[in-house]
Amino acid sequence: MIPLLLSAIIFLPLFGGLIVLAFSRYPDRCRWISLGITGADLFLVANLLVQFIQNPGAITVDLLWIETFGIRYALALDGISLLLILLTAFLTLLCVLVSWRSITKRVAAFHFFLLLSQTGVIGLFLATDLFLFYLFWELQVIPLFFLIGIWGHSDRVHAAIKFFIFSITGSLLMLIALIGVVMIHKSQTGEVSFSIYALNTTLLTAKTEGWLYAAFLLAFAIKIPLFPVHTWLPDAHTEAPTAGSVILAGLLLKTGMYGLFRIGFPLFPGAAHNSASVLLILGFIGLFYGAWIALAQQDMKRLVAYSSISHMGLMVIGLALWNRYTLSGSILQMINHGLVTSALFILVGMIDERIGSRQMEKAGGLWRKMPLLSGFFLLFAMASVGLPGLNNFVGEILILAGAFKTRPWVGALGFVGIVFTLVYTLRLIQEVLFGEPKTDDPYPDLSLRETAILGAIAIVVIFIGLHPDPLLNLLEGPVGELLGGTKNLLTLQGY
Amino acid sequence: MKPILLLLMLFPLLGGLFSALFGRRVSRWTVERVACAGVILSFIMALIAFDSSGGKHQIITFFTWFQVADFSVLMDVRFDPLAAFMALTVTFVSSLIHIYSVGYMKHDEGYVRYFCYLNLFVFSMLVITLADNLVFLFLGWEGVGFCSYGLIGFWYKDMKNASAGRKAFLLTRIGDVAFGIAIGLFFLIFNSLSITYINGHADILTPGTMTLFGLLLLWAAAGKSAQLPLSVWLPDAMAGPTPVSALIHAATMVTAGVYLLMRLFPVFSGSATAMAFIAVAGTLTAFYGACAALMQGDIKRVLAYSTISQLGYMFLAVGAGNITAGMFHLVTHAFFKALLFLAAGCVIHALHEEQNIFRMGKKLRLALPGVYWPFLAGAAALSALPPTAGFFSKDEILISTFLHAGIFYKFLWFIAILTAALTALYTFRLFFIVFTGESLYYEEESEKSVEKPPPNMIATLWPLGVLAIFAGLLNLPAGWGGGGWLSEYFLNIPGAAHHGEIPHSVENGMAIASAVIGIFGIICAWFLYGPKGLLRRPDLPGAWGGLFDLLREAFYLDWLYRRYIAWPFEKMADILWNRVDREGIDRGLYSFANTFMLFSQILREWTSGRLSGYLFMLFMGLTVILCLLAINFSIL
Repeated sequence: MIPLLLSAIIFLPLFGGLIVLAFSRYPDRCRWISLGITGADLFLVANLLVQFIQNPGAITVDLLWIETFGIRYALALDGISLLLILLTAFLTLLCVLVSWRSITKRVAAFHFFLLLSQTGVIGLFLATDLFLFYLFWELQVIPLFFLIGIWGHSDRVHAAIKFFIFSITGSLLMLIALIGVVMIHKSQTGEVSFSIYALNTTLLTAKTEGWLYAAFLLAFAIKIPLFPVHTWLPDAHTEAPTAGSVILAGLLLKTGMYGLFRIGFPLFPGAAHNSASVLLILGFIGLFYGAWIALAQQDMKRLVAYSSISHMGLMVIGLALWNRYTLSGSILQMINHGLVTSALFILVGMIDERIGSRQMEKAGGLWRKMPLLSGFFLLFAMASVGLPGLNNFVGEILILAGAFKTRPWVGALGFVGIVFTLVYTLRLIQEVLFGEPKTDDPYPDLSLRETAILGAIAIVVIFIGLHPDPLLNLLEGPVGELLGGTKNLLTLQGY
Repeated sequence: MKPILLLLMLFPLLGGLFSALFGRRVSRWTVERVACAGVILSFIMALIAFDSSGGKHQIITFFTWFQVADFSVLMDVRFDPLAAFMALTVTFVSSLIHIYSVGYMKHDEGYVRYFCYLNLFVFSMLVITLADNLVFLFLGWEGVGFCSYGLIGFWYKDMKNASAGRKAFLLTRIGDVAFGIAIGLFFLIFNSLSITYINGHADILTPGTMTLFGLLLLWAAAGKSAQLPLSVWLPDAMAGPTPVSALIHAATMVTAGVYLLMRLFPVFSGSATAMAFIAVAGTLTAFYGACAALMQGDIKRVLAYSTISQLGYMFLAVGAGNITAGMFHLVTHAFFKALLFLAAGCVIHALHEEQNIFRMGKKLRLALPGVYWPFLAGAAALSALPPTAGFFSKDEILISTFLHAGIFYKFLWFIAILTAALTALYTFRLFFIVFTGESLYYEEESEKSVEKPPPNMIATLWPLGVLAIFAGLLNLPAGWGGGGWLSEYFLNIPGAAHHGEIPHSVENGMAIASAVIGIFGIICAWFLYGPKGLLRRPDLPGAWGGLFDLLREAFYLDWLYRRYIAWPFEKMADILWNRVDREGIDRGLYSFANTFMLFSQILREWTSGRLSGYLFMLFMGLTVILCLLAINFSIL
């Protein structure tokens, strides 16, 4: 039953998207159908969660797909994947709700692409066959390219192309390296396989391993994004429609992280070990550089985009430290960042819809006019700076305090980062919420639909902030496996 | 015990949540009553807990917040005499200030937000007071920072207020960096985050590590307690409503820093270096604050600098190894400084939001005797006149410093007693200018009437006034016929052991010296700032203008921050974005693209258009990066 459930969860959105296309003349029906599909998918994931908790242990699917190349339709579900697909299903549902009013042209196509990207991302989080993984990896790029390019803001085409080129370049390198690994594996065993479990037994010389890992790393680094290949992200975010930004920040960036620790590290443990210092340095650059640049922004969306780069930097640091605390923290932080940053993008979108601008100088004094919206804004901004009691704090303290167990100076420097985060966030709050209102126009406060969207995220944010144990318990097993599975990584690092 | 302590913390939290969730749906009357009830009930719980604990310590775990392997974060409390006493002080002062606020905020439309923040603040403060797990303590620590941010910038329509709130949040968080690092190191060394465990095993620390912890905790405490060099946020924090200044920026939050030092005293008390640093930071700040307070023209800023200065004394007490004295002064200061702020609030309220002391005068004394007398009591306690509470608590600090080994501490003692004279001088400068003589702007002011504050505001001044005078009884030295109750009560707190007999000659000598110095300060204040005082003017005459500016601007510390930290930081942000990110990295990729466009002219057969050129360039660029990475990884 469960194996079928996995495939249903992946392909239900794709199937739903095709149905939506059939109703392209009736925008309202498209919205309702999409809502139903994403709701059903979330329900299925919730169902899966319940079954998984009752009966823990990895759930796998393994069917032969293309015999000639040994390509298999192989999926595996563990705690990490489960949390990530839960996040995906939750955010896509919110995306449909967020776009209810703001998307008015080509509604069917919009929802088709939205649902298509859901299939791509969920599939990616489950695939264990690298060919399948690669397919899903590419699949998530295409819908987003159109979401930005068609429904974006003024400079959308340029941003979409930039996003596409960056993604494609990384993917191509990854594909080449992937084929390389498969060929080497074939020459050693005489069998063609794309399975991660088979491939990570391949014996590689240090030199080859370095080259192949570098190609994978670059693909993942572009997605995460790491300095200096991050410049596509602010443009893509700024021009994307709100739902596009949510998919980008909430899900797409996480696929880069996911690929790095699920594919990159286990396949190439030696090179991964050598890259720890580079990842730490790039992570720190991202953390401080992103936060610093965020301070110079006038455009609220661009500010949140740079803040994403900064937060992702901290997650990469946690990953590079590779111990139980930091790894749990980093993975939990993927969920946290997905929630909080999405909420902030949604809020900026709502403000944009009301005042007709994303520029901070056009906002100001909103607290007086929209207390409910402002209250949510403050809440999510505080979650973003890691106020204890809200979700981000848990992930951050695990990464930062856990860092002391392996490299104390990393923890110390990381704590300095929390001041940088606070600087730009407080500026954002102040410019947008405080001061005298800039105009006399009355702006309506949140509607019921909008309150429901933000309220749902807020509940999760507070829940994880106060009681993250259920999530950490889900992560415990897989994190142990990651640490154990790459044992030579650990022994090499002398932990 | 468990339910009592749980309720002690929960009542204010529930009050705050009630305001946040339902505040807009119910009447103002309900919001006010719920907020006050939350804190008063908490005070009652603190009394019960205090009564039933009997001076012993106990650790009670409510539940596990989160856990990864041995990184276990519990929501637990360590209820010991120190915490019991702090909890009583916090809830008592908070209760009075909540009642006072009902009157003070009577005409403000933001009352829901106000009481919500205020309740949440009390909750966070109680977490700091009681928590045993350091990460749980950090929850309160950041919580008070956030509430303080919201309350300083409460009148957010004026950007200046909002900026003051932001500044407070930022500067205290600069302190929090050190706290975070200390937490990380505790976890590394002890594999535990429990204060009890850490204090109990502090003897495994080397002197060097102790010094490190001492400095980290000092830096953390300096942020919250507004000590040098992180003190600049507190004067600006006066932008908030006056009851907020009384509660947060005088009686409670600012004492959190010094309380943390007392709570973790054993981890650094073995390091003479760390102790000396703490003592020096305290002494310098005490002197600095007193000097700056002397030239302020705004009634709240005088009190703000005075708070910075008095907190310095508490740090000095910790540095001199006497945390009982530090705690004693913390409590008496909470009483008399809250009193002074609340009385100042009545004055400001009576004069329709006037804060300039030179627009006040004897008309206030005549119109508001109910404010005048409590203010006098508070001023006497702040000046440490015998036999007020401030006299005894400050004397104990001076004695400990004096008796501490080393000539160095004698020097600190000298500065501390000099500061005591300055304290009497600035306190009575304030008192004389506010309550005696004529306003400097008599003509224009005369039409303005003095509005009587509501009775519940004035009523809260009296209990504080009584405590400001008599709280010294808590720890009356033997020479005065007392038994040193607080010293006995604190006997079991780690690090608060007895310091041996204090020679009677020192005790009496110190008492006489402080009394003489205090009275001398007041006499000076009378001649300089009395109704016919020589310096009763908003500035200093002629040649002294430079000194006036220096003190008034508090040694230009704020200006230095803006000039050398804030401004370059913003400038750098701009450079990083425009020059590095856009023109450097991003443009770099584009021009790279253009170069390869030339190639693409040649390779037109299989590439066409800008898109593929860009693609090709990116491919080349990334290949370069790829090569670098690969070489890096395979050679290392």
